[in-house]
Amino acid sequence: MPTFEWNDVKIEVDEDGFMENPEEWNERVALALASTEGVTELTEDHWKLINYLRDYYQKFGIAPMIRKLCKETGFPLKKVYELFPSGPAKGACKVAGLAKPTGCV
Amino acid sequence: MRIKTNIITPEERKKAFAIPKKPEVIERQRLPVRYHVEDYDVEDRPRRFLQAFAAILKHSSYRLALDHYIRSTAKCARCATSCQIYQATGDPKDIPCYRSELLLNVYRRHFTLGGMLKGRLLVTGHLTDEMIEEMADSFWNCTACRRCALECPTGIDHGLITHLGRYILSEIGIAPRALVVSTREQLEGASGNTSAIPVPALLDTLEFLSEDMLEDKRVEIKFPIDVEGADYVFFPAVSDFLMEAETLMGIAAVFTATGDSWTIGTGYFDGINYGLFYSDRMLERIVKKVDAETRRLNGKNVLIGECGHASRSAKCFLPTYCGYKDAFPVINIIEYTHRVWKEGRLKLDPNVVTEKVAYHDPCNLARQRWIIEQPRELLKAFCPNYIEMTPNGDDNICCGGGGGTVSIDEIRPYRTTVGGKLKADQIRACGCEVLVAPCANCKKQLRELVEDQGIDCEVVGLHDLIYKAIIFDDSLKIPVEKKHDTLKEV
Repeated sequence: MPTFEWNDVKIEVDEDGFMENPEEWNERVALALASTEGVTELTEDHWKLINYLRDYYQKFGIAPMIRKLCKETGFPLKKVYELFPSGPAKGACKVAGLAKPTGCV
Repeated sequence: MRIKTNIITPEERKKAFAIPKKPEVIERQRLPVRYHVEDYDVEDRPRRFLQAFAAILKHSSYRLALDHYIRSTAKCARCATSCQIYQATGDPKDIPCYRSELLLNVYRRHFTLGGMLKGRLLVTGHLTDEMIEEMADSFWNCTACRRCALECPTGIDHGLITHLGRYILSEIGIAPRALVVSTREQLEGASGNTSAIPVPALLDTLEFLSEDMLEDKRVEIKFPIDVEGADYVFFPAVSDFLMEAETLMGIAAVFTATGDSWTIGTGYFDGINYGLFYSDRMLERIVKKVDAETRRLNGKNVLIGECGHASRSAKCFLPTYCGYKDAFPVINIIEYTHRVWKEGRLKLDPNVVTEKVAYHDPCNLARQRWIIEQPRELLKAFCPNYIEMTPNGDDNICCGGGGGTVSIDEIRPYRTTVGGKLKADQIRACGCEVLVAPCANCKKQLRELVEDQGIDCEVVGLHDLIYKAIIFDDSLKIPVEKKHDTLKEV
């Protein structure tokens, strides 16, 4: 299993760079994972999205529907793509420490 | 009319095949193909391949087809004109009958008397590791669109051979990780569906959609859950619950307008069947889950959502594995919507969708001429600027992500520069602003395709547009004051 290291952060990730143990997530890990997604700085908007994703994930064990994500955070989908260039499923979920989505996602 | 394409150079092809996987992972798998399952045993592969092949032949009727194919195969390469992969690469190894020959040769040499005698006398032609590697590469370059089957003068279904080849390979552990991981979750995981959606999350999502539609349309549109004895038990591609809100809203809106009874079962609510792409064994197990849930709810019909392969796998294989003539009837949501619209139970406003709209035929719905005219009649009824792409119908061009390849994110560059090249040219040529693709597979691939190819076009489902254009009876509408009360309760 590959290990991903960034400054003082050391986590186990799968082959696509998603966290293997989501419970190890913290804000430093988010920064580390963001660096793999071409996001150098996590702004307030980034955190709003990440925190929403994490809350939902902890409650339901899966990422929310994209429409719900946009509605509840108030960001249109375009904005989500601006924040995380590889999109909500692959980019935002990865930084928020969620497992890689499977199926036709 | 055929669309002219520029054949891509070997350099471009190489680039399209760029490998994002780590070198040590590839080294460990010792194969040039990039999208295998977790580590698997690379020792003694020819023997295990032949054993799997023999076992499959013994317990299926593939032998009938293969015996016919080895006699009639002409290698005339007429199929080359219809294969979009070959048209994009120009590599003779991508011609469908070349691909089929890879497996037919193994069959001829090891499973026919003449082949065995000749092979032993001349000590030649036996299955080698290299041949397995070539098959693994080749069978997963194909999008399984089966357009070549229409062209073959001797009636060989190259799609079937690719299907069998993938099945044998999966039995010795060679199958895309993305498909295997999803199928494992579906068959053995806690959630029991490919996208790993737990039931509470499903209920939360459906409640959210109902609230959204109440605000939007002033109509109470529900998703009935676990209703026993419903006419239609609904199985969408489960990823729709994450990605395709509008499609689900459109479907629920149609049922609200008609008042027919339908339901989503919390026991199993996934129409996806990746078994169709790589393993008959999985195909059977997944189809049986659909049957069991419909039985549990005492439903009358299996209704599949906007998804090509889900529809075909249920339509064709529910009778095969679950009761032959007594199996539940399977219909696709497009057939249902078309029927109720014909009966005059669904009203659509022709002034809402004014963009240039074109329709993309999902291979799994159109190739066998199952669903071609129904969506067109619907679209023409409410989209004044409907235009047609050519070729279309049963001769359509695949989105480029068929046969399960769309789920393999690692090969996105291949899918959008090689697999979907002809489709991209076609979309550009028709100049549509909205492209309707009633299939979860096609939607994902086409969105990536228009993004990577820089085409300005929105990809939506059929019911996304129907949701926009649907006219509800006044009796269904909740008066404004009352609406606020209902919202408060919610």
